[in-house]
Amino acid sequence: MLARVANNLFWMGRYIERSEHVARFLRVNYFSSLDAPDELSQSRQFVLRSVMYMAANEIIDSDIALEEEEVLYNVGLNQDTPYSIVNGFVNAHENARSARDLISNELFETINRIKHTIKGYSVEKLVKSQLYDFSIIVSDATSEIKSKIESTLLHDEVYAIIMLGIHIERGLQVARIINSKVSDASTVKNIYGDKVDGNYQWSTLLKCVLSYDMMRRSYKKTPERINTLEFLILNSKCPRSIKDSLNKMNNYICMISKQHEKPVNSAAFLIGKMASEFEYKLIDEIDNNLEECLANLIVKLADIAEKLEEDYFDISHSLEVKKVKA
Amino acid sequence: MKDAINLPLFSSYEFDSRFYDELFSKREDVRSIYTKLFELFGSYSVSEFNRLNIQAKDSFFNSGITFQVYGDNEVNEKIFPFDLFPRIIEHNEWETIETGVLQRSKALNLFLWDVYHDQKIIKQGIVPKELIESSVNFLPEMINLDPPEGIYNHISGTDLIKHSDGNYYVLEDNIRCPSGVSYVIGNRGAVKHALFGVFNQYKAHTIVNYGSKLLETMQSVKPTGVDNPVCVIITPGVYNSAYYEHCFLAKQMGILLVEGRDLFVENDFVYMKTIYGIEKVDVIYRRVDDLFLDPLVFKPDSLLGVLGLFSVYLKGNVALVNAPGTGVADDKAIYTYMPEIIKYYLDEDAILNNVHTYHCSRKNELNYVLENIDKLVIKPVDESGGYGISIGNKLSEAEIEKVKETIKKEPRKYIAQPIMSLSTHPTYIDDSQSFESRHVDLRTFTLLGKDIDFVLKGGLTRVALKKGNLVVNSSQGGGSKDTWVLKK
Repeated sequence: MLARVANNLFWMGRYIERSEHVARFLRVNYFSSLDAPDELSQSRQFVLRSVMYMAANEIIDSDIALEEEEVLYNVGLNQDTPYSIVNGFVNAHENARSARDLISNELFETINRIKHTIKGYSVEKLVKSQLYDFSIIVSDATSEIKSKIESTLLHDEVYAIIMLGIHIERGLQVARIINSKVSDASTVKNIYGDKVDGNYQWSTLLKCVLSYDMMRRSYKKTPERINTLEFLILNSKCPRSIKDSLNKMNNYICMISKQHEKPVNSAAFLIGKMASEFEYKLIDEIDNNLEECLANLIVKLADIAEKLEEDYFDISHSLEVKKVKA
Repeated sequence: MKDAINLPLFSSYEFDSRFYDELFSKREDVRSIYTKLFELFGSYSVSEFNRLNIQAKDSFFNSGITFQVYGDNEVNEKIFPFDLFPRIIEHNEWETIETGVLQRSKALNLFLWDVYHDQKIIKQGIVPKELIESSVNFLPEMINLDPPEGIYNHISGTDLIKHSDGNYYVLEDNIRCPSGVSYVIGNRGAVKHALFGVFNQYKAHTIVNYGSKLLETMQSVKPTGVDNPVCVIITPGVYNSAYYEHCFLAKQMGILLVEGRDLFVENDFVYMKTIYGIEKVDVIYRRVDDLFLDPLVFKPDSLLGVLGLFSVYLKGNVALVNAPGTGVADDKAIYTYMPEIIKYYLDEDAILNNVHTYHCSRKNELNYVLENIDKLVIKPVDESGGYGISIGNKLSEAEIEKVKETIKKEPRKYIAQPIMSLSTHPTYIDDSQSFESRHVDLRTFTLLGKDIDFVLKGGLTRVALKKGNLVVNSSQGGGSKDTWVLKK
């Protein structure tokens, strides 16, 4: 597979995963807030700030009042905002187009059709009445795309590169969502202390990561800070946990890497090392220093992405340093 | 069939006896070969057919069989217009076409070898030397270069029309980067989905074997000493209007689609940059024009090609499909010599007719052209895609004067032909919600490889969608149709 095209497929996976998380975060936060237990969590400004932080990585100054329709438009359908959901699909489509010879017709046609649907979605409807409908369309669309990836592609390096993109992005998004909701929970706690239902923020966090039902079934407990964090970071049966993303990344990098030995500091080495670290981590160790731990996690995942670029997507060349296959 | 023309979908059909109408032999008489098909189309109500038509268009759009149009602020995707009424070619008629286009492709290949080697045909005065030397598509870099297996035009696209006399004429040969074959296959798919029942009535030849034959052709011209050649297609990139076709062909063959930036030259070989390092490339089907192939030899500012590619080709370490420099032979001025070229190399008479052509480079012919522009089609010799064509009887007096001035400035650049009566075929027109007659041509696809002569049994029927228009090229707003070649 061409290095350039591999890079595009990697990003195709990332954009698809990112769009799914942003849409779900938007929906869950928005609708949960409507009957939230405390005034702050019900506040539109609080929700919109949280959405902007997660989707755009922007911390909005407290003296700026956000316009609800503008935020919904910017996050959903504005093609001039790089973080918008529509741009996620446009970029995924462009990347898929450049690799059209390698992916299945079924996959390309699904991405193509979905891109047209999202691009053609009425802005008026999104910002005024159909946020729920829009976000469900996005969630269903990403599920359909992933099912085509799973079932219509040969499970070789093309598939592994896409899956690697999906899981690295999932790890990053889940870490950022945890970060965002932990920060919301702290703010609420600072204001109201124990006067309000503290579980609300943890339930919302789980729902933002599509893990609420799984957590309830697994732990049979009300979501609290520790059990929520443990489930989302360290539970190996939860397909949305950080640990699961790292394990999957490790599997996929092994499919791509033909070497049995993983050279020190190669992408395969870094992924393996990180997956091993998380295998034996305890939630107390993480919770003691949660903010730093999440920040570290995000930095390390970004480093891995860079390393992947260096190891596999590099399009500079030299006969001396690279092995000639033929 | 007395009431044929009164059927709702054909109520606007204007039979014009000046042209060969492929559906009607005369007003209200459907040609026997189309009877079953006509019955089917005649049975549709306007709304039923509209639905089928919309579904077919949607399937092209959703499948991404599109080209992109760049506006000021946004990129729009468009489908190439497609018409559901297929064109049918009978077995006997096709045999003539097939042997004829193959004959031309072989003769052109021998001509190219000669032009870039001994130039015997010139020395013997059959083709004038100045036609070759003045051609912008003649590449001096190709002189005395032996392409693998002696093949230049591995892929040829021959454009034919059916004149009012019922005979096929060749309009032009395309042996640089002829495009359109992906639409041949896409159109067949759309017609099969929409009209599947009718295939029980007509036994049409398959066209899905093109990809396999193309790969065999590429592999057959591998460089000496290579057992299992690595073949790729090089594309100018995603913004090229034929990008869909490049992807389609790569996928059909299971080979990689590369861009210039994916390849590099080192130690006289071409390599591509893969996720596992570098891999040698042996055969390149290039969909990049000659002058953009290698900035070291041709256009120095081109970013589409590969630095040093031509020197590797020169050393025989990579095969290029088609060879550079083939454009000298599909020049419209050379076209006029095709009967002589076929006779000279193959000792055969041309099977397919040429349209009579006036060379503006010849003084007496130039005079005739200047005095009779209203009866002629004026074409630049070295353009493709329908660009620069003037159809005399559509021009105003002022426009005729302008064309005259243009020709006089550079007579070598122009040829003129009588206005041919392209046959007409029923084509669904959205505005009138019915079939109307529109002019069509036919592009065939021929492959030449080592021990491979192949003509795709089908072709791209191109249709001029504007009433009365004779230019069918997609770049000029033309559409296309599925083409059925019937089995014996």
